[in-house]
Amino acid sequence: MKKLLKNDAFQFLSLSVVITLFIYALDVSKGMIIAKTVYLTFFEVLDIIIAVSIFIGLFQVWVKPATIVRLLGKGSGLKGFILVCTFPILMGGSLFTVFPLLKTLKDKGARTGAIASFITAWGGKAPLLPLETKFLGWPFALVRLGFIIIFAFIMGILMDWVGEKAA
Amino acid sequence: MRAGQIYLIIAIVLFGISFLKDKQKTKEALKATFKIFYVVLPVLIFVFVLMGLIEAYISRETIVSILGQKSGILGILYAEIVGSVALFMPPAVFPFGGYLLKNGASYGLIAGFVFTAILMGVTTLPVEIKFLGKRFTIARNIFTFVLAFFIAGLMEVILR
Repeated sequence: MKKLLKNDAFQFLSLSVVITLFIYALDVSKGMIIAKTVYLTFFEVLDIIIAVSIFIGLFQVWVKPATIVRLLGKGSGLKGFILVCTFPILMGGSLFTVFPLLKTLKDKGARTGAIASFITAWGGKAPLLPLETKFLGWPFALVRLGFIIIFAFIMGILMDWVGEKAA
Repeated sequence: MRAGQIYLIIAIVLFGISFLKDKQKTKEALKATFKIFYVVLPVLIFVFVLMGLIEAYISRETIVSILGQKSGILGILYAEIVGSVALFMPPAVFPFGGYLLKNGASYGLIAGFVFTAILMGVTTLPVEIKFLGKRFTIARNIFTFVLAFFIAGLMEVILR
């Protein structure tokens, strides 16, 4: 039971149910609005979520962290820099999963800027494109992807400057 | 055909190719897929409940007045603060952004929210400090907030 209560999935689901039931008890029509929103949105995104989960699952297995570290190396030189500003766009996961990988990159001698560029480019989130285009449209998604590369580039330059000042 | 079905077909085809190439790896991928689905889905449902709450209690006019184009620079700043503080998993960011868009929020504001929600997080700060150091973490989060602000502004100009 204790384990169940600590489970994130259980917490989010029970919180969702409690909120909905609470509002329903206060005002039936408002409760119904929430239930309807959840129901409609859920079935709108279910197939996309499954597809995205498969994309990320396949990527994780076929592109191992070791491969990424080898591919990106120290992220130095123009080619390395361009790679760290673009390649992470293809990756899934949350910040929690990215930090340990970056620690490895750092230990292998990657520059401060390269690590910051990596995180920023990772924010491009190409595996989530099906979701992004569905809710925000292709123009938004493409413009955002374009900017994320520029974002990662500037970030790298700025963070290299910070890194150097630290040394 | 719905876009979601097309993605699903592509995903299944890729999965099939993966299976033909390496059964063991594909088994692992399937496990990873289930794990991702299991982690993401409850968070998504929670976000849908939040969307329902807004739908039930806040009128469209109110949202537009707070988050619409007229909210301008301040609107982008608010959205960035919400994005950087809120506990948001990346897959939940887009449905929520789309919901705000449908209710009249500006593109720039949504961009500010999306960037900070994905790239920053109060909850991830301790982890980032642990792995990459205090100095790095503080500098990166400040730069991300500032750069996201300018890029969101540019996106507003481009997409409006």
